[in-house]
Amino acid sequence: MRNDLELDAIIEDYLLGKLNAQETEAFEQLRRHDAIVDHKVVSHKVFLESMTQHASQLRLKEQLNHIHAEINVEELASALKPHPSRIVKMWYRYRAAVAVAASFLLLSSISIYSIQHSSQQGERFVQLGKKVANIEKSQSNLIRNINSTKNTTAKKDNPGNFGGTGFAISSNGYILTNLHVINKADSIYIQNSKGESFKVKTVYSDPQYDIAILKINDANFTALATLPYSIKKTTSSIGENVYTLGYPKDDAVLGEGYVSSKNGFIGDTTQYQLSIPVNPGNSGGPLLDNNGNLVGVISGKDQADGAAFAIKSKYILEAMQAIPQDSLGKRLSSTKKSVLSGMKRTKQIEKLQDYVFMVKVYHD
Amino acid sequence: MVNKRLNSSVPTDREVVLGILNNSEDMLNKLYKAYFAMVLQFILNNNGNEDDAKDVYQEAIIILYNKIKAGDFELSSKLKTYIYSVSRRIWLKKLTQQAKKAGNIMDYEDVFAVEHDVEEHEEKDMQFVKMQDALDNLGEPCKTIIQDFYIHNLSMQDICEKFGYTNTDNAKTQKYKCLQRLKKIFFSHN
Repeated sequence: MRNDLELDAIIEDYLLGKLNAQETEAFEQLRRHDAIVDHKVVSHKVFLESMTQHASQLRLKEQLNHIHAEINVEELASALKPHPSRIVKMWYRYRAAVAVAASFLLLSSISIYSIQHSSQQGERFVQLGKKVANIEKSQSNLIRNINSTKNTTAKKDNPGNFGGTGFAISSNGYILTNLHVINKADSIYIQNSKGESFKVKTVYSDPQYDIAILKINDANFTALATLPYSIKKTTSSIGENVYTLGYPKDDAVLGEGYVSSKNGFIGDTTQYQLSIPVNPGNSGGPLLDNNGNLVGVISGKDQADGAAFAIKSKYILEAMQAIPQDSLGKRLSSTKKSVLSGMKRTKQIEKLQDYVFMVKVYHD
Repeated sequence: MVNKRLNSSVPTDREVVLGILNNSEDMLNKLYKAYFAMVLQFILNNNGNEDDAKDVYQEAIIILYNKIKAGDFELSSKLKTYIYSVSRRIWLKKLTQQAKKAGNIMDYEDVFAVEHDVEEHEEKDMQFVKMQDALDNLGEPCKTIIQDFYIHNLSMQDICEKFGYTNTDNAKTQKYKCLQRLKKIFFSHN
């Protein structure tokens, strides 16, 4: 018994590194020659590890309890408890305040970033403008002008008709597109693959990420089936195959390519750079990977080297959070597996085309 | 995003990760206070009370804490969403265990898959409970001696004085006797 206790003491000192070099060596020799001792060392090691972990968890729990005691839980709870009428009222009050604050913040952030951004966007859109002029010569009836601010063709025979693409983010008629597609619009319509048009109104716009959310406001609109695609939470890797469906002309056009860089125009971290054929009119179109996960939103193109850009999907999620969650109904999900997963591309497009819309914008 | 900017007391995700890696109590405090209301709201509106919220939230914070400490928390996932998802997962599990109907879950945030993290934590937690049970079965004064030495990091000298042993050798002998019994209990439950 006495011996046992001494052995335990030595084992513990050994494991905690308290023995000197000579003692360590002597003990290690003993351990090599005596299987029982060795077994005891191993089991004590396991035990000590469990104990250390136990101790650290216990300390963490104590710490958390201590912090918890500083929170006035009752007050919080009474504010957050389910109380239908009051909750709804509070929600709306809160939303209004957030909206005001948000627009203020957005405005101030625009003014802060205006110098860098104006130069970037200018370069990009001027180049897109050139592109428009080129097409104009050859195919004058196919023009989609996604450049609403520096537009050179605004005073054409169909004055102020601008086009882009948008896609459903909920089955009850919320559509996401680029803000630059619908900017300064007097009225906006969307058209589905069957050629039916619906009137929409803008419910959210985010100039920082160039995202806008539209809501179909039309009695003829019937709710869509459950969205076939889901949203991708993680960042896509370089080389990942992607495709987009958009309306650079009156019929939907498929563009296939790959992610060529994790950052967008001049290192813009909110975007991907893509190698994919897109044209004016593709702006606002969904970018999907082979499994039908939404990777981003097509937003622009660098005319100099032909690279296209897409806003990363996480900003779609952020934009969606700005819409009251209960009004979104059956919404775009990030947890469900995409229905498109495993389908052939032709099948995917067949499913997808009911959820991708042409966005038609009218100016005076 | 907007909320975060409005409320300056909410630390950024990066600050939290760095703070926890540096054992900053202040940052843990800020983290805890930043997201408790979110989880409280979820639990209260889904069949739970304040105590449930406290338990679930603390478990979620511990999972996050361990994940950050282990170095495998990627900053690409938002802390807020992570905490919400983990809390949600834990609470739904508890509801099923209590055979309470979950019914329509009222959600307030985005959710992503965290099943793996929660299950991993449950395994670890079983170890924790096992050690706690073993300690509880140990009886006094052994339990206190062991806790003082291994958990509260008291020296043998301190323990000797606290329990009135005549010398540290006696205290040591007592400690190893206790330890032997504890190990017996701990390993017998394996």
